[in-house]
Amino acid sequence: MTDIYENDAVIEKWRNPKGWKGVAAISFICLFIVSVGILVYGTGGTAFVWLNMMYLPIILAAAAYRVAGGAAAALIGGLVLGPYMPLHVSQGIPQNGANWLLRTGVFMLVGIVTGYLFTWIDRQYDRLKQAYDQLALSHLELQNTQLELIQAEKLESIGRLAAGVAHEVKNPLAVLQLGIDYLAIAAGGNEAVMEAIEEMDTAIKKADRVVKGLVDYSRFEKLDLKVQPLNPIIEEALNLVKHEIMKEHITVESRLSPSLPPVPLDHGKIQQVFINLFINAVHAMEGGGKLTVATSRMLLTEEYLEGLAQPVGRFGPGDDVVIAEIMDTGTGIPEDKIVKLFDPFFTTKPVGKGTGLGLSVSRKIIELHAGWIGIRNRQEGGVLVTLLLKPEERSVSTS
Amino acid sequence: MKRILVVDDEADLTHMVKRGLEVTGKYIVMEENKGKRAIATARQFRPDLIILDVMMPDVDGGDVAAALAETEEFKNVPVVFLTAIVTEEETKPTGSFIGRHTFLAKPVNLKNLITCIENHIGA
Repeated sequence: MTDIYENDAVIEKWRNPKGWKGVAAISFICLFIVSVGILVYGTGGTAFVWLNMMYLPIILAAAAYRVAGGAAAALIGGLVLGPYMPLHVSQGIPQNGANWLLRTGVFMLVGIVTGYLFTWIDRQYDRLKQAYDQLALSHLELQNTQLELIQAEKLESIGRLAAGVAHEVKNPLAVLQLGIDYLAIAAGGNEAVMEAIEEMDTAIKKADRVVKGLVDYSRFEKLDLKVQPLNPIIEEALNLVKHEIMKEHITVESRLSPSLPPVPLDHGKIQQVFINLFINAVHAMEGGGKLTVATSRMLLTEEYLEGLAQPVGRFGPGDDVVIAEIMDTGTGIPEDKIVKLFDPFFTTKPVGKGTGLGLSVSRKIIELHAGWIGIRNRQEGGVLVTLLLKPEERSVSTS
Repeated sequence: MKRILVVDDEADLTHMVKRGLEVTGKYIVMEENKGKRAIATARQFRPDLIILDVMMPDVDGGDVAAALAETEEFKNVPVVFLTAIVTEEETKPTGSFIGRHTFLAKPVNLKNLITCIENHIGA
């Protein structure tokens, strides 16, 4: 798309110049008018070529200061040429004096009409810019929608694939699980064999976790929505990961707003999202840190949405939302990896720590709730996860 | 000894269930890898409990269970679905009733499988 603002700086420079630019512009126009006057006087006032030169500073003044500028320049031009009128009258050539009066009137007319034309062009230019802005916004929205569609299609095919793979992998896992249980009995307490069996058991459980993640990912098609408060679900999730939090010596700051409106939520699924996010935060702060969880309600503003630094899809300024924020003081995420965080099987965790499905499952759940989830690094260090959820329709008008 | 019929198209799985259960000395296990032959094998084996897969290439496990329930001789024989279509979170590790039958999620460990069997037909 051509950038309409490319020449905006030049146009703005010549629109109603102020300050030193204004002084320079007015001085130039006045000098131009006086110069034309000198030429007219010097040639005896009959050389119309020089007289017509007066239109130039009038047009320039109208271009710079619109109707007021054009009229003022015309008046000054008329006054500069005024002494010729009585001179000609005294010389017995009254029609020339009348001509000068008429000429000043024409100057005025040209100044005012030109000024009005520039004002009209201003309005058209502003409208063009507005249309351009709207077009640019629509273009951006279209691009975002296209990206979301591509992502949705990608996720859908991954979901189908995941379901198939999960089913096929579960059978051999079941064989292995029953096999090592059998071997554990057959080993008759042989320590070396039992050690090997335990390692195999751990490996099976890891594989099973991945498969469960795949099944979760491929299954979330429908939600069991009930209008309910969000805070208790967050508190339950915090309680469920309490052990991991304490183990890593992490302090928790909970700033849950007591006046949140109820939200249509699938209790279990939303709890799973918060557990995933808390576990991610804990993994990012091994050895200690601070986990902050906050909820609030707000009418979205453009400033807030810009602060999210990511397209927020279905949300726009003025929307009533419930916001949940989870902050950690960990190492943050490399900027080039942030865009991939929600891709299935993408993980920044060490091998064995994560399946790479937690965030993609979480986003799927949030999207099924018609919500939004975004992750960004905090300036102070660590990561901020933001969730936007729509409160119950009824509650929008009641508060 | 209790008699267990295991019906699953995965021969490795039925074989491992047989090994695992029989090593305890409490069970006699018969394997069947064709869903369609499940009822015929049951008639021959007379099981106390049937472990049944849901998704089998030749027949749906649910249809097999329905056919068994309509049979006078097997209508009271408990059926445990051992399947990949449910997760342990949904069924609990030792299985839970969904509809008329007990479901166990694959992969199940031997201890939980035995607990599930004992819940139905005793130790």
